[in-house]
Amino acid sequence: MKIDYKLNDRFDIVFFVSVLLLILFGLAAIYSSTANHPNASQNFNKQLVFAIISLVIFFVIYTLPEQAFKNMAVPVYAFSLFLLIVVLIAGKTVYGAKSWLDFGPVGFQPSEFAKIGAILGISYWISYKERDINNIKDIAIAIGIGFLPALLILLEPDTGTSIIFIILTISIVFWSGISLFALFVVLSPLIVTFASLLGTIYFIASLFAVIIALFIFKRDLFNSIAIFMLNLGASFFFEYGFRLLKPHQQKRIETFINPYADPLGAGYNALQAKLAIGSGGIWGKGFMQGNQTQLRFIPEQWTDFIYCVIGEEFGFVGSIIVLLLFLMVFLRLLHFASISKDKFGSLVIIGTLTLYFSHFAINIGMNLGITPVIGIPLPFLSYGGSSLLVNMILAGIVMSIYKNRKLHT
Amino acid sequence: MKEQVFGRDVRRRILYVIIISFFIVSFIQLFNMQVLQGSIYTVKANENSIKPVYLTAPRGILYDRNNNILVGNEPSFTLRITPDKYDTSLNRYLETILGLEKGYINGLLEKNRRMSPYVPIRIAKNVDYKVIAWYEENAEKLPGVDYVIETRRDYSFGVRGSHIFGYLREINKSQMDKMTGYSLGDEVGYAGIEKNYESVLRGEKGIRYLLVDSHQKTIGRYNSGKSDIAPIKGYDLILTLDKYTQQVAESLFTDKRGALVAIEPSTGEILAMVSSPMYDLENFSSMYFPKVWKELNEDEDKPLFNRATMSIYSPGSTFKMVPAIAGLEEGIITEKTRFFCNGGYYFGDRFFKCLHYHSNTDLVTSIEKSCNAYYYQLALKIGLDNWSKYAAKFGFGRKTGIDIGEETSGLLPTVQYYENAFGKGRWPKGILLSLGIGQGELSVTPLQLAQFTALLANYGKSAKPHLVKGILKNGKFRGIEPQYFDIGISRGSFDIVRHAMYLVVNGAGTATNIRLPDIKIAGKTGTAQNPHGDDHSIFIGFAPYENPKIAVAVVVENAGYGSTVAAPIARDVIKAYLNGHVHGDNKIIKNEIAAGVSKIEN
Repeated sequence: MKIDYKLNDRFDIVFFVSVLLLILFGLAAIYSSTANHPNASQNFNKQLVFAIISLVIFFVIYTLPEQAFKNMAVPVYAFSLFLLIVVLIAGKTVYGAKSWLDFGPVGFQPSEFAKIGAILGISYWISYKERDINNIKDIAIAIGIGFLPALLILLEPDTGTSIIFIILTISIVFWSGISLFALFVVLSPLIVTFASLLGTIYFIASLFAVIIALFIFKRDLFNSIAIFMLNLGASFFFEYGFRLLKPHQQKRIETFINPYADPLGAGYNALQAKLAIGSGGIWGKGFMQGNQTQLRFIPEQWTDFIYCVIGEEFGFVGSIIVLLLFLMVFLRLLHFASISKDKFGSLVIIGTLTLYFSHFAINIGMNLGITPVIGIPLPFLSYGGSSLLVNMILAGIVMSIYKNRKLHT
Repeated sequence: MKEQVFGRDVRRRILYVIIISFFIVSFIQLFNMQVLQGSIYTVKANENSIKPVYLTAPRGILYDRNNNILVGNEPSFTLRITPDKYDTSLNRYLETILGLEKGYINGLLEKNRRMSPYVPIRIAKNVDYKVIAWYEENAEKLPGVDYVIETRRDYSFGVRGSHIFGYLREINKSQMDKMTGYSLGDEVGYAGIEKNYESVLRGEKGIRYLLVDSHQKTIGRYNSGKSDIAPIKGYDLILTLDKYTQQVAESLFTDKRGALVAIEPSTGEILAMVSSPMYDLENFSSMYFPKVWKELNEDEDKPLFNRATMSIYSPGSTFKMVPAIAGLEEGIITEKTRFFCNGGYYFGDRFFKCLHYHSNTDLVTSIEKSCNAYYYQLALKIGLDNWSKYAAKFGFGRKTGIDIGEETSGLLPTVQYYENAFGKGRWPKGILLSLGIGQGELSVTPLQLAQFTALLANYGKSAKPHLVKGILKNGKFRGIEPQYFDIGISRGSFDIVRHAMYLVVNGAGTATNIRLPDIKIAGKTGTAQNPHGDDHSIFIGFAPYENPKIAVAVVVENAGYGSTVAAPIARDVIKAYLNGHVHGDNKIIKNEIAAGVSKIEN
């Protein structure tokens, strides 16, 4: 076993520099949108402190031996679940969701920490002693590991974050080598359930689609009927569970599916976001010069609508640079996952990629008016200590796995 | 298994395609928005936009136990300045017309310098209608000045209740960090019921959507106001107070310092509560809050202080029922036990005085005539442990838990207390003699005294004293269940002591001057020595004797004997509650409230 000690062989400069630049862009945008703000003028300083702490933690994690992550997978996952239960009982309600644990001056969102737990947990289960990922029982457990925290987060209720966990789980299972048919069995109940929320016609159409797919797969009759019943059962089970929710929780799920039902709530922000970005033009209005940002048309712009600040003040050029930096991060991650010979490591990297990308896509989509408004932060840029810390911890784990990749043959 | 298991490379390509396609879509959308349509968006951004303006909800109204309004709401004019357009050379002119001090406006502008110059600043609240008429005529000469109609508290219902209701103030920075849903300029309850029931009273803010240009200048209403959300008025509170009794009690304290608390014995409901001198809540709703506050705060009579719950006094002779009950309950004395009074009692070489020569006195006479010598000797017999044990049973030495925050626990000395002060076993026994007649270190609040009286009246059963009976939610009354308790003392002991209290007023006792032909009052006078000046006049009493409906404690500072000043006040309050009742019509005047609200909204 020979290890090459060239720097770039142990540490991917392109990935690291891209992440660093994204954090700097975020700091600039936070500064611009909070300076002189009556309540939020301290946010820049807070985020700066968090950025420095996150970087230190990134390097600490980078130095950890590879075995460490496998060893901590189960305890970290179990502790995440514990915290998610604690927050449901003793959490502080912020914006209608019971998602914060308060420790005096420091607040903390267990759902952020659970992202690390879920990625490590699912990856560990699948890679443990070369499990057969096409065995129904093993798939079910792998999915259960990811959906359990999703369910607890849905109860807070934080629909947006809960969806991230579902995407995360499916993506890791997908990467593990599951057969197309097995993936279909896993995904179809989710799609049918989602369709049932949109309306009866969508529900029936999705059931037809399932039947057609079953014909294409040419499975025996017993299996096909079983899968069809599973689809039907899942949607009815969800419908039943939905009715058990309190009215305000039901309303949250409904507005999530159709945000334009509330044009002055979520729709107001979407409209203002488009105005801010569009009016930025090619070169932007300049740092701290965006009137939409400076006049605070969008409340709390430094969290979920931070991309508008970039769009308005740095224009098309700035927006594209940020997009390209993200693209760089994603492509490097995809590359790491492909070359990693250790299954656990490869799955953890894909989990991280999915986490970053799903946040990115939902957030950018919402800012550009392509997708519905779902309150999800933009990785590395949005204001928020927990989110930045978790993203950097995962980056550290990824870089450490990359460093040790040659230990496996 | 023969289904197509595809390799890692295929999966990598699938993810690659997903990532790249999202980038292409985002790129096209950005190009479209910023390059192709950038100029259109720029015009739109400069032209108009929707801005939500939050409307404060009218606060809940306070009613008395018979649904009479105690504190309401009324519309008032607030004059504002928008710094962006305002010309500071108008300062002096405006200050003169509004009667403001020189430099006041400049100070306000300076204070708000870091805020957006497009957001209006309130410069005067509750502005006279004449000033608004003048403004309407001269509006074009006054750029950047405007007025809005807001609600303010209306205290014109004949009850002052300064210490009960509490007041409102603009929220400060540290409170804003602690409470959610508030913004600068919002008012928040700072004392009394307004503070303790803030979350119930405040209601929900409404939103008005305005069309504004990029300089926040209003150019119209969004969707003709159809999308606006009307504010939801806070929930009303039904208080335990009786408006008429409260009014009578307040009037009886004109020119006097002291406090009064009247409680319904069986429920702990406070029927009247006065702390005098009072202050006018009206003054607190102006913009001159700091000035008003300073004047009141520096007043020697301490009007801001709630004497009913915060001031501590020696209970004096009104406390004598405690050692009496302790002696009876512990079997140390019986009703027939007599102690000799020769105008006082020798303890060691010191003579402790009594007011009169009572000769051989039994328990009932000792209360009726208020013999001190009896209690010097009784206290020595029951000892300090029993003395403080029974005083604690009656709630002395700890807060009653009344539902307004400001309260002190007073001081109930115990063996431990004196041992800490003098050393173990070294405290002088002479202390006990003073404590026996309610003097010495013992100190109590008028509220504790009233609770004590309620317990005497109702045989040791009552509920935690409280001021709020329930909440009126959308016209439906939801009662707040009082916390009942029983201090566990035998009825026999109460019978003896209550009979003696009856004789205080209706026998040959110390307060026969307040005897009434139609109402049987039982009570006890007290005269508390006061190291800082003249004695305090104290009286506790309840009525009707057989079936008490009201228990009152009265303390009048530096007024001498209990019988001469405090007792007549108690009598008049009892009379007001039991006889002179002007009840409300038990209907809440909904139309009146609704009219007030709609006036404010428009």
